[in-house]
Amino acid sequence: MYPWTSPSYVPSIPNPQKSTSPNGFDDQDKLLSEAVAKVRSQAFQMKRFLDKNRLMDALKCANPMLSELRTSLLSPKSYYELYMAITDELCHLELYLNDEFQKGRKVADLYEVVQNAGNIVPRLYLLITVGIVYIKSNPSLKRSILKDLVEMCRGVQHPLRGLFLRNYLLQLTRNLLPDALTPTIEAEGNVYDAIDFVLMNFAEMNKLWVRMQHQGHSSEKSRREQEREELKILVGTNLVRLSQLESASFETYQRLILPGILEQVVSCRDAIAQEYLMECIIQVFPDEFHLQTLDPFLKSCAQLQPGVNVKNIIISLIDRLTAYHQRNGKLVVTHSSEDGSHEIPDIQLFDIFSIQIAHIVQARNDMPLEDTISLQVALVSLAQKVYPERLDYIDKVLETTEIILDRLNMMKISHNLPVNHELCRLLRLCVDFYNNILTLIQLNHFAPLMEKLDYISRKSLALYVLMNVFENETLIPTADEVDSVLTMVMPLIRDEDAMESNSGEQQTVPSNRSAQDVDPEDFAEEQGIVARFVHFLKAEDPDMQYKILQTARKHFGSGGTERIKHILPPLVFAAYQLVYKYKSISEEDENWDKKCQKIVQFCHSTISALAKADLPEIALRLYLQGALVIGKVDYSNHETVAYDFMTQAFSLYEDEMSDSKSQLAAIILIMSTFEQMTCFGEENAEPLRTNCALAASKLLKKPDQCRGVVSCASLFWSGKKDGEEMRDEKRTLECLKKGVRIASQCLDTGVQVQLYVELLNHYLFYFERGNSLITVAMLNQLIAKINEELPNLEQSEETKQIGVHYRNTMSHIKSRMESNDAGLEISFAGITLSS
Amino acid sequence: MLVLVLGDLHIPHRSSSLPGKFKKLLVPGRIHHILCTGNLCTKESLDYLKTLANDVHVVRGDFDENFSYPEQKVVTVGQFRIGLCHGHQVVPLGDPEALALIQRQLDVDILISGHTHKFEAYEHENKFYINPGSATGAYHALNSAVTPSFVLMDIQSTTVVTYVYQLLGDEVKVERIEYKKC
Repeated sequence: MYPWTSPSYVPSIPNPQKSTSPNGFDDQDKLLSEAVAKVRSQAFQMKRFLDKNRLMDALKCANPMLSELRTSLLSPKSYYELYMAITDELCHLELYLNDEFQKGRKVADLYEVVQNAGNIVPRLYLLITVGIVYIKSNPSLKRSILKDLVEMCRGVQHPLRGLFLRNYLLQLTRNLLPDALTPTIEAEGNVYDAIDFVLMNFAEMNKLWVRMQHQGHSSEKSRREQEREELKILVGTNLVRLSQLESASFETYQRLILPGILEQVVSCRDAIAQEYLMECIIQVFPDEFHLQTLDPFLKSCAQLQPGVNVKNIIISLIDRLTAYHQRNGKLVVTHSSEDGSHEIPDIQLFDIFSIQIAHIVQARNDMPLEDTISLQVALVSLAQKVYPERLDYIDKVLETTEIILDRLNMMKISHNLPVNHELCRLLRLCVDFYNNILTLIQLNHFAPLMEKLDYISRKSLALYVLMNVFENETLIPTADEVDSVLTMVMPLIRDEDAMESNSGEQQTVPSNRSAQDVDPEDFAEEQGIVARFVHFLKAEDPDMQYKILQTARKHFGSGGTERIKHILPPLVFAAYQLVYKYKSISEEDENWDKKCQKIVQFCHSTISALAKADLPEIALRLYLQGALVIGKVDYSNHETVAYDFMTQAFSLYEDEMSDSKSQLAAIILIMSTFEQMTCFGEENAEPLRTNCALAASKLLKKPDQCRGVVSCASLFWSGKKDGEEMRDEKRTLECLKKGVRIASQCLDTGVQVQLYVELLNHYLFYFERGNSLITVAMLNQLIAKINEELPNLEQSEETKQIGVHYRNTMSHIKSRMESNDAGLEISFAGITLSS
Repeated sequence: MLVLVLGDLHIPHRSSSLPGKFKKLLVPGRIHHILCTGNLCTKESLDYLKTLANDVHVVRGDFDENFSYPEQKVVTVGQFRIGLCHGHQVVPLGDPEALALIQRQLDVDILISGHTHKFEAYEHENKFYINPGSATGAYHALNSAVTPSFVLMDIQSTTVVTYVYQLLGDEVKVERIEYKKC
């Protein structure tokens, strides 16, 4: 499963940088190849002697071969290659010896002989090789020889040489370690002997490895650390070996193995070793073991050196246990011990981590704040995955985080700080997990924690929350919840300084947003999102819906001109829909009438806020929309109110619209709205109608005047009087005639003819609708005018279009004359057809 | 040639977004032209349409603040001249004869208008009229039950096959209407 669990592991030693070798890269290659050449030549001799059964001579060759490992010139990577080359050759010797001993050769003397080798490094390699063969031939010596070997290796104290020597020992013994509780022969040793053996080897290797750090000049620190990194796996192999002992039960792990490792790890006081080895423990031993030894492990974490990244260790442990839980669906541990297998009840993972993390945070005051927050992130992630129902766990972590930040007096944490980044991660984790804003507001410490961030981060988090609402289509169904939610996303609703100056009561409306230098397009997009959010503030019950709208209005009111322009219109439309809702339940709710009045009042004041904020365009349109609604809903007094809405629109038109384009657009809109309304009695309709006509005739440009006046004709025709169409033939015609008069005043003949063609169409429209005052003669008169002027126009694209329009009009007349519709062909008779 | 016809989205005033089912249907790269009857209201909605097709035409609705959209527009697709107009200027609202006035002026084979939030497609004096309704099913003061709808036109030489997509409850219903130019 792990790289080092394969029987012949190869440490993944990265390519050494040039700086890692004192003599440079090429020198290393040269030194290595020279050494390997010597090894090969000695090995060749050795194998020849072995073939001839001359063991003593062979050993004499092995000695100089192994002496190559005494070098101090090679980098760890090159030394490793040399080691591999030599141990390959040593295999031949080992095989030979195995054969020999099986044939009955005495071993004991050889064990003595090899101890005569001149230098300690070759001597110990040979001793290990022979010792292993010795054990194989006589298992009853296992315990004492293993003990002997692991002790004797102390003779090499040079870190690099010592590490590889002990690695050799570990390699050769890997299948020989006693792995039984009660062995058949006492002297073969039991699993406790194996544990002692490996733990001692581990402690010695770790000491050698740590010592590397303190050798050489301080300027080469980074190179040394690089070399240590390359060698760490040799130390870790000891832990792998321990984990492979099958007779070592959990009880043994808890009592002997883990304390043994932790003692060494803590006492070595070396950050690199501690970080690596703690990680190693997590990866190498089974999760069931970790679950039951969390306390000692986490306590040790608190004692590690200042430089150690404890956060990563704990997060790695949490991740593993969470994954374990998700695989097994529970945290119940089953394990077998001497008295049979039994289950250990649910382990309170969250409580343990929560307490121990608090302890670690307290003990390690050097830990960067962002790491402290990262731990809380890990804790939240653990709680969410293992205890998805426990909202209180999440709230507890958020509270702890809040307290930590409070203690440090952290406010408005800048978005440039790593702490901010972690804090946002923590909060987003909650957003993503619940996918429900209503759950977020149940967390008492979510919003307060958000307030620790600076304005920019709060805002982007608020947007994140809203996007989550959109994705999940979460409706917010009560006024209280709306209040909490809108408080949470306040940075989107108010300016930064406005939020500070009046966090409680509303004061003056700030006229300009001060969020400095915000790109207007970005700002509009952001406010568009808030505006879309309004549609999610929705209750089934209309009374509640009204409360919701009021609450939202209170929040939105103080956002400044630039914001209310986007946010208030949706609120008004929601209110209009609510009016219809009350009308639809008027049978059941006897107070519907009063409630409608209130809502309309609400709309009126909301729109007037827009008007006051110098937003006449939208305000005018909302008044007109309101008039339509009120006209349709016959609550008491609705006619007067509808009239008021119309006049408000008119005032805005008269007082606020200055350029001719928006004037024309507005008056056309006022007229087309008014034309649809049925609620007015003549007393109210007449002044409105007259005002429309007046306004149209007062438009600045003649063509606009002409078109406006012609539109006005519809008010006298299909416009309503006491609910019925007016059909005022006289005044309809007057409008049309006035249009012709204005057109004739146009100096540009092209525009004039264009208007005549348009007028002809409008005459025809009312003619066909049966306005008896419009005569064929009138139509012919217009046609004659057009026929007269059209050929004189300068050839241009516009002229061509006018010609086509005219031709289309003529063929319309023709089709009418030819139609079989009784009456029509008669009335059309006499119209001069020409083109 | 596929032409998407839609309008009266009213986002964010009256609706939060297009129905999810519609968004799934509208995939980029399939549509050649988009004709929008207006009331997109925000730049984001226009940007969204631009992700669906390169050629997007919009006329101004009564709630569009963008005065650079024209009131009317003529687009030629294949052998068809298509007129586009929001329709809030038309009195009486949605009246076929009143719309015919615009058809004659623009000299088009097909006139597309919106504003009523109600899908319609009919022939009138040999011309074809389409109202795609409101793509978001936005609230309308005089139309209490608005069904979200849009139209897809498949234009092949002298024939237009119109598909109307309507969201009824949670189901998208598609209807097919054919129009031949004479």
